[in-house]
Amino acid sequence: MNKPQIRVSQIATWMILFEIGSTTLLLQGAKAKQDAWISMLLGAAGGAALLLMYLWMYRRDPGRNLFQLLRAYFGKILGSAAGFAFVLYFSYESSRNLRDLGELTVMTLLDRTPMQVTLLLFLSVCAYVAWKGPQAAILLNTALVPSLLTSYVLLAVFIWASGLVHFEFLFPILENGWKPVVQAAFPEIVSFPFGQLVLFLVFFSLAQNGKNMTGAMLGTYVFIALFLTFLNQINFLVMGPVLAVNNTFPLWHVVQLVRFARPMRMEPLFSLVLFNGLGTKMAAFMIGALLGLENLTGVSRKMWVLPVSAAIFGMAFISPNLTHHLWLGRKSATWIWPWFQIAIPLLLFLVMLIRSKPKPAAAGTE
Amino acid sequence: MKPFQRILQTLGLRRPTPTGRSRAPASASSSPALNASLQETLSRLQTSFGQSSDIVVRQWGGSGDMSGRLSLIYIEGMVNPKLLSNLTKALSEAEPRLADRSIASESVEETIQSVLPAGHLHRIETDAQLYSAILEGSAAVLVDGVPGGIAAAVPGGERRGVEEPTSQTVVRGPKEGFTEELAINLSLLRRKLRTPGLRFERRKIGRYTQTSVVIAYIDGLLDPQILEEIRTRLDAIDTDSILESGYIEEFIQDRTWSPFPTIMNTERPDTAAAALLEGLAAILVDGTPFVLLAPVTFFKFFQASEDYYQRYDISSLLRVIRLFSFFVGMLLPSLYIAVTTFHQEMLPTTLLVSLAAQREGTPLPALIEAFLMEITFEVIREAGVRMPRAIGPAISIVGALVLGQAAVQAGLVSGAMVIVVSFTAIANFVIPALNMAASIRLIRFLLMLLAGTFGLFGILIGTIPILTHVVTLRSFGVPYFTPLAPLEWNNLKDLFLRVPWRLMKSRPEAFYQQNEWRQGQGGNSGSHPGGGAG
Repeated sequence: MNKPQIRVSQIATWMILFEIGSTTLLLQGAKAKQDAWISMLLGAAGGAALLLMYLWMYRRDPGRNLFQLLRAYFGKILGSAAGFAFVLYFSYESSRNLRDLGELTVMTLLDRTPMQVTLLLFLSVCAYVAWKGPQAAILLNTALVPSLLTSYVLLAVFIWASGLVHFEFLFPILENGWKPVVQAAFPEIVSFPFGQLVLFLVFFSLAQNGKNMTGAMLGTYVFIALFLTFLNQINFLVMGPVLAVNNTFPLWHVVQLVRFARPMRMEPLFSLVLFNGLGTKMAAFMIGALLGLENLTGVSRKMWVLPVSAAIFGMAFISPNLTHHLWLGRKSATWIWPWFQIAIPLLLFLVMLIRSKPKPAAAGTE
Repeated sequence: MKPFQRILQTLGLRRPTPTGRSRAPASASSSPALNASLQETLSRLQTSFGQSSDIVVRQWGGSGDMSGRLSLIYIEGMVNPKLLSNLTKALSEAEPRLADRSIASESVEETIQSVLPAGHLHRIETDAQLYSAILEGSAAVLVDGVPGGIAAAVPGGERRGVEEPTSQTVVRGPKEGFTEELAINLSLLRRKLRTPGLRFERRKIGRYTQTSVVIAYIDGLLDPQILEEIRTRLDAIDTDSILESGYIEEFIQDRTWSPFPTIMNTERPDTAAAALLEGLAAILVDGTPFVLLAPVTFFKFFQASEDYYQRYDISSLLRVIRLFSFFVGMLLPSLYIAVTTFHQEMLPTTLLVSLAAQREGTPLPALIEAFLMEITFEVIREAGVRMPRAIGPAISIVGALVLGQAAVQAGLVSGAMVIVVSFTAIANFVIPALNMAASIRLIRFLLMLLAGTFGLFGILIGTIPILTHVVTLRSFGVPYFTPLAPLEWNNLKDLFLRVPWRLMKSRPEAFYQQNEWRQGQGGNSGSHPGGGAG
């Protein structure tokens, strides 16, 4: 039967959930305090520049995904090496999401279940989605996005209706000048969450008809950037800069404060919303790694599911505790991830500018 | 995937690819031709049918030990007695004209053809053709000394008439349902769709049952690719028997290992006609009132034909209620288990206190309690279907009083659990399609188990793979979860809501091929819509 088509709008939808992913779980721009929204916007602007670069590369050679681009422009050996590095990077990102999720589960829903068990369960769900492939993940997303966006909007309404929002927490603006604001934005916010869109270089080429890719992606990106800035700022507006910065999962605690007529807590439901975001992101990274391995080795994606899952599961336990995990995240966001999100893509971008487009030698590989 | 398939084959779980085996024992291509000797043919017939008592051979013009010149062969009970008597009368009158053995065989045949009062006549050349003709309810006329014969279709026999469908009832709408008789079913469809575009394609499936299976579709509306796919899948069926359309459904569905039905069935001609008009194909099987509809999407199972007969606002409300019931039927017990066992903080305090007070006396954990009650209900339900009608009231007394009220009073289960289980059960019956309701029941047990072990986390762990499975399912190439994923904005108006007909001018996008508009906009102005398409 005819192969299902992947549309540009579906990839854009995927980006929404991917970007929301784990971003709402943690506080962004802690250094900037109540000016986090400025940092977020700055970071988003930086991310937009990166996205434009990725989109340019896609436009230049729409038939190739990231791994094929690397091999085509860097040559076989260098390109493969870079490709494997990306596979490792994607797997690690995936494992970080898994760990986030494990910590969240232990703290909120299942405090007595060993984290290994919840991680294994969740990993198997994501592995199943990844085994089904990008098409399945995209359709799953399309089905989930409406309810998740609605949940976030409802959440904002509830928070506002409970009288928790204090606009005075916005002020004073730029209390400590521009320096902390800019420091918070670069490179941390750029690399998490916005720079992670480098993953979509793997997925852009899946679209059947990518003519309006740039417009769709940029439009969605602006929406996401504003949406995330808004959600992130809720933490500050409710708890104030001091409490928000010192909270592990701030938005989750904000949800705890929501009150209806009678005491009735809804944060377990919010955990589910967070899980969905985390899972989407994790599955997306996993699919990226799997597609990479398929491209690099020629062995079917499905064969790699088990080894990659095992690697992700192992990497999720790199950190002995949550504090170390978060510290490691912040460190790698500053020192390691920019290599994958900025340096290598920039290099690729330059090579693509200079070198002419190689003939599509392996046109039938996909 | 190759080795996997081989394993399935060896386990007998998957049919081997169709081989050149003969379809029916009688229809071997080497079947002897009907030659001139009537005596010989009749003796072969008697051997093949093993002297079966319902085979009737009537002869004319025999004298003494010589067998007759003219004979009529049919199976008692397969023919219409009234038509048959007309036939015998005509043959009796014509017999003297045929007595002369010197008449050429062509003119004998001509004479017979001219005197037979039946509408549908066809020539038979071989034994196999003779057998299949009489098995289908024809009477065969054979003349000694003339090769070949003539079969006159006089089908009959006792069959149920058109009655109100029992499993899919409506308050407003036509009350006629399909019957077991294929010819009646086809006419029911034809009467609703008076267009030359309505096509019926007949084939025979089942080596022993030789069941007639008809693909019905409207030319120009059904995607030719889908039609071709249905044809190939039907032709690939190689089995002894087709006794109900369920056999066909299982043979041609897209995925065997899925709890979700990808083919719909209906007992209602109006539902079938509406489906054909949306560009679906219907598969009618002789001997069952259940007609298969394909390709279908997930949401089709939540639409009733009545939605389109009632006012749109009422129908929209009913749709929303059905969707709500779907979630209740699938999730309520597991949510109850998860919340009472793991997340008590989600409940308002007063409710929590009252629940805790109820559960104080019950000996079992919520999961076991829910399982016990659910299984009890399933047993009652099954008993209700299987038992003789006369003892129906007994079940309701035992079910409602003994298992419900008494169980609570005895402190075995909590009152809240009884409410949850009964509401779930009733919500399940709101879903119009029984096969979808059954799948949801199946999934419910899985989710209950997960909720009992991992709470809300478990429910999420359970629902996401199910959703993934559903969105990747396809029914004859059409994505199962359209129009939600992939999103089709235009089709959403007939999904959760049913907007007024005025606003539904185009056909659902997933199915139509040509002829997009069903109102205005050309296409069906003037002559019959499918007529000109050829």
